[in-house]
Amino acid sequence: MTRFLRRFGLRGIAFTYLGVILLGPLALVFYRTFENGVGDAWDALSTPETVNAFKLTLIITAIAVPLNTIFGIACALAIVRRRFPGKGLVNAFVDLPLALSPVVVGLALFLLYGRDGWFGWLGDHGIQILFSLPAMVIATIFVSLPFVAREVVPTLREIGDEQEQAARTLGASSWQTFWRITLPAIRWAVIYGVILTTARCLGEYGAVAVVSGRLQGETETATLRVEERYESFDLAGAYAISIVLALVAVLVLVAMTVIRPKEEAVQ
Amino acid sequence: MSIVATGISKRFGDFVALDNVSLEVPTGSLTALLGPSGSGKSTLLRVIAGLEAPDTGEIVISGEDATELAPQKRGVGFVFQHYAAFKHMTVRNNVAFGLTIRKRPKAEIRERVDQLLELVQLQQFGHRYPAQLSGGQRQRMALARALAVEPEVLLLDEPFGALDARVRAELREWLRRLHEEVHVTTVFVTHDQEEAMEVADQIAVMNHGVIEQVGGPRELYEDPQSEFVMSFVGPTTRVGETWVRPHDLEILLAPAGDAAEAMIERVVHLGFEVRVELVRADREKVWAQLTRDQCEELELADGQIVYVRAIQERVFA
Repeated sequence: MTRFLRRFGLRGIAFTYLGVILLGPLALVFYRTFENGVGDAWDALSTPETVNAFKLTLIITAIAVPLNTIFGIACALAIVRRRFPGKGLVNAFVDLPLALSPVVVGLALFLLYGRDGWFGWLGDHGIQILFSLPAMVIATIFVSLPFVAREVVPTLREIGDEQEQAARTLGASSWQTFWRITLPAIRWAVIYGVILTTARCLGEYGAVAVVSGRLQGETETATLRVEERYESFDLAGAYAISIVLALVAVLVLVAMTVIRPKEEAVQ
Repeated sequence: MSIVATGISKRFGDFVALDNVSLEVPTGSLTALLGPSGSGKSTLLRVIAGLEAPDTGEIVISGEDATELAPQKRGVGFVFQHYAAFKHMTVRNNVAFGLTIRKRPKAEIRERVDQLLELVQLQQFGHRYPAQLSGGQRQRMALARALAVEPEVLLLDEPFGALDARVRAELREWLRRLHEEVHVTTVFVTHDQEEAMEVADQIAVMNHGVIEQVGGPRELYEDPQSEFVMSFVGPTTRVGETWVRPHDLEILLAPAGDAAEAMIERVVHLGFEVRVELVRADREKVWAQLTRDQCEELELADGQIVYVRAIQERVFA
């Protein structure tokens, strides 16, 4: 009995937990969506408001991911390769978005860009931040900021800086060294970080909910649309959009599993 | 193509890595920086390469002040202990790196890389990746890569330190021959006195961030200026307050003059060399180095009482 427990105990706990908390609900969403056939789900997805919501989510992601990729790599390089005062602080602050509730982030932006906030004067010059794309992008960038840096930092530490020093002695400038030596060496970590960032951007709800104003067909992202449909008793619509988001998540998972072994083989 | 370092000091926090070090490396020479770990030898090499900025002092390479120059502008080739191979590039692309950076014509690069791969005997490995090479092959690739840009000086940081004994001996001899062919001014760091004596024509012995002595292998061995140099370069045994080379300790079967009485603890046969471990009457342990023939002539055996005296001894202040 004890041997049985030792062999299957931990595994059993892990599988049961995952099943009850994750897979069960997900399966139920799948079931409900296609309960009345694929046609209903398609109809729910092709309303102009829903199409617009997906478009908005994609636009926000397309802006946030590249910016956070560049920032994440630069930040990781600074943390690992440079010595400067306040480095520990930077290292800790990169993780802040992971610890902070997105709603708090949204609220902070609200205070910052609201009528009486530090940047409230932007509104007087006709630059609309809150309740429009800029605020939603800023909120999304904030919550998805740590992922690239967090993936790249350990890889940079592991490869060390000897290859970079060798490149320098062979005549490469810092820029050439980065493009030809550093970036190829960390490429899998970057790709992994980009995937995680993308997933976070697509799924962001809390911070965006606070700053978007939720104008249907205008500042409503896919996740906000799910909630709006749910509250309007359009369960079929809510399920259909959820299923698309869930499928994207599954794709992300698959992509990561495909990449991971490769990364290990490279090192 | 000479290197002149003057008054170099470098601290890392509280640790003094280099303390007012000056060294001259003549054009075309093969100089070894020899010392135990933490003696500052690698730091000095990295300062010459520009990979480390000295706190004080200046570096002149080929008559030109290089102290403020970035590493890529110094015309140095650097070889690292752990190869620093570009893992995502083939051997060919590793060797070609410096030339590609300088945007040389493709045909010229191909020709030069072919020459270098032949020089380091890696012709048939051009399309492999570093992970598919042995340690010795990787280090030869790193050497070819450093030589590709025709550096004025070649700097090697414990180049054979990560290799096993047999490969190390092979590469030492090979480096010596390469130097005779290419004649590039070379400085290499090592903690292995045998390696330094075998390969270098000038050795700088370092300890605690200072250079203790600079000289040829023979000069250092025969005329060490300090206790540290004597004990670091070649074997020593201590007799009272004096240092003796074990082959300068004479074993006599009968008492004579100032020879001290001693008992043979162990006779170790190492082929041509025989090591005799002794305890003197005052309980001090010494050892003597004999040839096989000398040992046979004396018919030495464990437990035997003999008399020892130093033919040549040194006292350091």
